[in-house]
Amino acid sequence: MSTLTRRQLLKAAGLTAGAAVVLPGRASAQAKPGTFVTAQTSEATGLDPQLVPALSRSRRSPLTYNQLVRFEPDMTPVPELAESWTTSADGLTWTFKLRQGVKFHDGQELTSADVKFTFDRLLEKSASGKADFNALDKVEPAGKYSVKFITKEPFAALVASLGGFFGFIISEAGVKKHGGDLNKGALGTGPYILDDWKVEQQMVFKKNPSYFKKDVPHVDQLIVRVIPDEANIVAALRTGQIHHAFIEDNKNYNLLKEEKTLTGYRSSRLGYDYLNMSANRGPLGDVRVRQAISWAIDRAQVMRVATAGFGRLTAPATAPMKQWQLPEEQWMKYYKPDVEKAKKLMAEAGHASGFTVKCMVIPTFPTMVSGAPVIAQQLKRIGITMEIENVEYAIWIKRWIAHDFDMTLNSTPGYADPDTAFFRALHSTKGQNWNSWSVPALDAMLDEGRRTMDPKKRKEIYDKVQIAILENVPHLWLYSADLIDFTQAGVKGFRQHPTALLYGLEGVSV
Amino acid sequence: MALTLVGVSVIVFLMLRLVPGTVVEQMIGADAVVSPAMVAELKRFFGLDQPWWRQYAIWVGSLAHGDLGTSWRTGKPVIALIMERLPVTLELTGLAVAFSLLLGIPAGIVSATRRDGAVDNVTRVGTLLGLSVPVFWQGTMLILFFSIYLRWMPPVVWVDFFTDPRRNLTIMALPALCLGTASAANIARITRSCLLDVLRSEYIRTAAAKGLTHRLVVLKHALKNALIPIVTVAGLQMGILLGGTVVVEEVFTLPGVGRLVLWSIYQRDYPLTQSTILFIAVMFMAINLAVDVLYGYLDPRIRYSA
Repeated sequence: MSTLTRRQLLKAAGLTAGAAVVLPGRASAQAKPGTFVTAQTSEATGLDPQLVPALSRSRRSPLTYNQLVRFEPDMTPVPELAESWTTSADGLTWTFKLRQGVKFHDGQELTSADVKFTFDRLLEKSASGKADFNALDKVEPAGKYSVKFITKEPFAALVASLGGFFGFIISEAGVKKHGGDLNKGALGTGPYILDDWKVEQQMVFKKNPSYFKKDVPHVDQLIVRVIPDEANIVAALRTGQIHHAFIEDNKNYNLLKEEKTLTGYRSSRLGYDYLNMSANRGPLGDVRVRQAISWAIDRAQVMRVATAGFGRLTAPATAPMKQWQLPEEQWMKYYKPDVEKAKKLMAEAGHASGFTVKCMVIPTFPTMVSGAPVIAQQLKRIGITMEIENVEYAIWIKRWIAHDFDMTLNSTPGYADPDTAFFRALHSTKGQNWNSWSVPALDAMLDEGRRTMDPKKRKEIYDKVQIAILENVPHLWLYSADLIDFTQAGVKGFRQHPTALLYGLEGVSV
Repeated sequence: MALTLVGVSVIVFLMLRLVPGTVVEQMIGADAVVSPAMVAELKRFFGLDQPWWRQYAIWVGSLAHGDLGTSWRTGKPVIALIMERLPVTLELTGLAVAFSLLLGIPAGIVSATRRDGAVDNVTRVGTLLGLSVPVFWQGTMLILFFSIYLRWMPPVVWVDFFTDPRRNLTIMALPALCLGTASAANIARITRSCLLDVLRSEYIRTAAAKGLTHRLVVLKHALKNALIPIVTVAGLQMGILLGGTVVVEEVFTLPGVGRLVLWSIYQRDYPLTQSTILFIAVMFMAINLAVDVLYGYLDPRIRYSA
């Protein structure tokens, strides 16, 4: 192999020498001063903040849009386009006072009519967005700068949803201008204006000169470059070609952390990786089998292999959901591998000799690819043969929507509020119920949690919900991979966000 | 030729539909509450509810009117997307061909004239390696080597040749080298063997007997006669290189037609994939035609009559 490499390199060196005329020294990436270049592996499938549920879309939305409420990096909600809000005594009406003088990119002022338009369209057209707001009845203007949110039942998670992936405020004129949807264009109130988009190549944004936060942005131009192979992103960071990148394969942290020209950022992620199990597929319907799987899997080992150790085990509520976290001793005890106990449970369920299941893995998700063989190995110990099926993303989505799988590895960006985090995934009748399971007691608790406005009472309910989840094992919370970003050392003002959304590019400077 | 086109169009069309998943699932995503009515409505919107033969007829019908269709995912006409990206792919292919000819022909000549010498052996091993190394591996290795040891890599923000030729060539140098390596090896091998063949013939001995210099014999008398198979191979290589651009453009993230095709397949953007592949097929045929015409020029004995 080494001869091969050398030969290739000699050839390369030959050509480089030949092309020396055209090769400058260490190139500085930027087309012009005042430009900030960031790179990521995946292109957005579309930009409409209501119609496109993909994370690749949500991540880019804060560049051009704002929400009424935004979550700070420590996950406390702060006013953004709203200045303040109040809740009625019955908990059914929320009144938001809007910030005055906020301008959309086309110069129009933000008013309560835009907020109404946003949520009318969301409830009408957005399949995924509706799920975040399914207790919302309607939105009504109360004056030019004040707007009422009326809910069907008390809906404690409203603020979290407003600050979530589907809370971005759009305008009717914007939708009209782009021909009916906002997939190919963007018109919001955000810090940057979309200037040009070459699919699978780059998006070019220019600074919004009349952004309502007067002191930002600092850069005139922002380029979001798509580089599908993360090895090339690593190389681009090293050689100063890009200012910032969000690292998806945590193993690359080791490659970059010693680089003196770079600044590394590492923090806890709101999202987590998990293992879905369909409760309507043979033995997986038996809670004892699911418990056995949980006892057989050594999550710490899976995490070490999948994230190179840059992650943490997590309760159903992840570390950034601070106030909802269970005390560690209450959940950690479920995560201590116990093969004997697992075998006993398998025997009780009548599967002492084991069985075979299939587990879907998406090849473009590095954590899934490296984690799956570890899990298969561990399940082997209790007689379960887990066959790994590599399934391309498009096909995976099709099968996921159809609930057509035994098991699948999965990954979620996470949710700020336990209602959004658990209700949709686990409620057997009102949610999507991805695991095709049913625990009526848990459904009742989820209903109660949604209706309860008092934070202390809610906390008690969701503590119980989490314990019920750990006992009944709808799916396995495997680990939460750390969020890793790198910037050039000269970059100032970058902040990570637990959702991995690009809020942190608002205030960067070179 | 028309028959080939029809064949290509049918195969591309059917292969695409054999792959599970459609643009509809892609648009809806994984996290959605979906009603079957909504899926049906979207399928109707894209014409996916029609039987395949009708979908094919609609596509071919619009092709006959010179309309390549509209991309589902970007909403732009396919022809505009191709034209936006074609210059990149053509430039890349052109540079790779230039590289492979400039390296391959001289290497073949040197190798043939010093048969079984040290230079010949090195060249032969080299060509074998050049043929064996996969393009994607070579590309990644080059990027890694340059970025780690030389602290350099091609700029990541694309600039076209006419805006800034120097910067453009800086971006293109490594990809063209990668793409051209296997072709250079191929051309070197074919040049060597053809030249060896010709050098053994009677008229070469005559030429040498006339007292011509070795150099003149090789370059004027032998090489021109050895060129026909070389041109054939080079022509075929052009087609292979066009296909290879998909991989190279992906590794080096160049905004060419290859990446467009790849992305459209992932997105199940049928009109974009179908029409772009058909377009590439037409280009491939045009190149083959050009090579045929070139034969006549190189060898007056080959003439086409109606």
